[in-house]
Amino acid sequence: MICWTRCWPAMSRRLVAALPGLVVLALILAGLEVAVNAGWIRRALMPPPSAIGLVLWDLLESGEFAAPLLATMKLVFSGFVIGSAIGIAGGVAMGWFPAAYRLLEPLVELVRPIPKAALVPPLMLFLGIGETMKITSVSLAVLFPVLVNTLQGVRGVDRMMLDAARTHGWGTRHTLWHLVLPAALPFILAGMRISLGLALVLAVLAEMLSGQGGLGFLILDMQRSFLIRQMYAWLVILAVLGLALNTLFLLAERRALHWQPANRP
Amino acid sequence: MRAASRPSSGFLLILGLLLLWEISARSGWVDSPNWPPLSTVLAALGHDTWSGELPVLIGGTLWRMAAGLAFGGVAGVATGLLFATLPIASRLLGPTVELIRPIPIPAVIPPLVLFLGLDNTMKVTVVALTVFFPVLTNTVQGVRAVEADALAMGRTFGIGALRRAWNIVLPASLPYILAGFRVALALALVVTVVAEMIAGEQGVGHYLVMMQFAGRAPEMYATVLVLAVLGYALNRGFLAMERRTIHWYFALGRQSD
Repeated sequence: MICWTRCWPAMSRRLVAALPGLVVLALILAGLEVAVNAGWIRRALMPPPSAIGLVLWDLLESGEFAAPLLATMKLVFSGFVIGSAIGIAGGVAMGWFPAAYRLLEPLVELVRPIPKAALVPPLMLFLGIGETMKITSVSLAVLFPVLVNTLQGVRGVDRMMLDAARTHGWGTRHTLWHLVLPAALPFILAGMRISLGLALVLAVLAEMLSGQGGLGFLILDMQRSFLIRQMYAWLVILAVLGLALNTLFLLAERRALHWQPANRP
Repeated sequence: MRAASRPSSGFLLILGLLLLWEISARSGWVDSPNWPPLSTVLAALGHDTWSGELPVLIGGTLWRMAAGLAFGGVAGVATGLLFATLPIASRLLGPTVELIRPIPIPAVIPPLVLFLGLDNTMKVTVVALTVFFPVLTNTVQGVRAVEADALAMGRTFGIGALRRAWNIVLPASLPYILAGFRVALALALVVTVVAEMIAGEQGVGHYLVMMQFAGRAPEMYATVLVLAVLGYALNRGFLAMERRTIHWYFALGRQSD
């Protein structure tokens, strides 16, 4: 799957290129440590990074980090999958069938500008504060960017290719599956990449507002309990999750679009 | 989306859904205090608007959003120009920026509350942080897309580095920067509301959560409606502004989506 022998030179080159930046990052952390210990920054607000590191290590070693992390991951994942599936299906339908476009376009344009965060309180009234409400909030945030991008991608499919497909006697389903979807994939994935960030935002917000479960709730709860080191430790875990999701998605995107000129080695 | 071919079946669908909302709530199909009829929601909206309560809240929210947009935007453009023109700067600071970027913004609010309290300063900072990243990315992209010939010509005419940046690089990368601002604008409204929801007692976000706690569903839906209109109007307004500012870009046949 991964070409260690062939990619190693490229990877080591990237590592060397990133080195100065990592040194700066280490310097910033060291500077913070010094500033806190010298009393320039109040300990109650910003504990020294080493102290946060110790708490973080405790969380990792005891396995305490796993349950909240998994809860947030599950929430982001289910909301992302559901929202993307509906978005892609809706986008393809609206892009391919003019009747569907005429029927749904005004509704989409009406609901799309609502800041999805504002929908969390109404959803809490209807669905309670459990998983259903959280997953619905995340899916709603994911849905629209994916839908709009899919629509754009489907409408942008090369006419020549569509004509060629018709000449070869492809049916609608075959054309959609083997021509339109692959051709629209770069757009769809771009929409999904935007949505991934939004999914994480909505997941954290829903956890904070519902007051239960996951990393978002813990960060807010630790702050309100004045367990500041714990708060920063959980924040680091959340940041790593965000970074990991982003990186994984970029890798998956590059694999899925390996046929695009920009991704060829 | 083209406005010219406004379809009718879609409007009928919306009309039907709104009618269904009204009837289902009035006739008792959905008998719940959480499901007030549309007319009651509109009445609540009218009442809160006339009483002056909602306009004041919206004004505060918009003000915080605009301040965050201004600070974050200026910082983003400045950092972007720096990163794109001085590769060493992006080498040194790039990894730090990339590590901070994927942190979901609501999670940054609790630590910021410790440092900056619950009021305007904290909220404006949160919005500025949100705005910073898309503007930065787009500025870097925009500066990289400036034609080398234009820069070379500037150099030939003996224009200094600062004036080149101001008179050649900035206008040429403006379409990209504005695209970044448009993304940032939508995010800024969301994040302002989120910050108001989580901390403090200001603005539309706090009002929304209060109405939910108080079980005053009509006021809550009215607030969501207001936010929807606000989001739509801001996007439309920005698009119009964009068309005026970089009309030459559109005249060259390039399109915004």
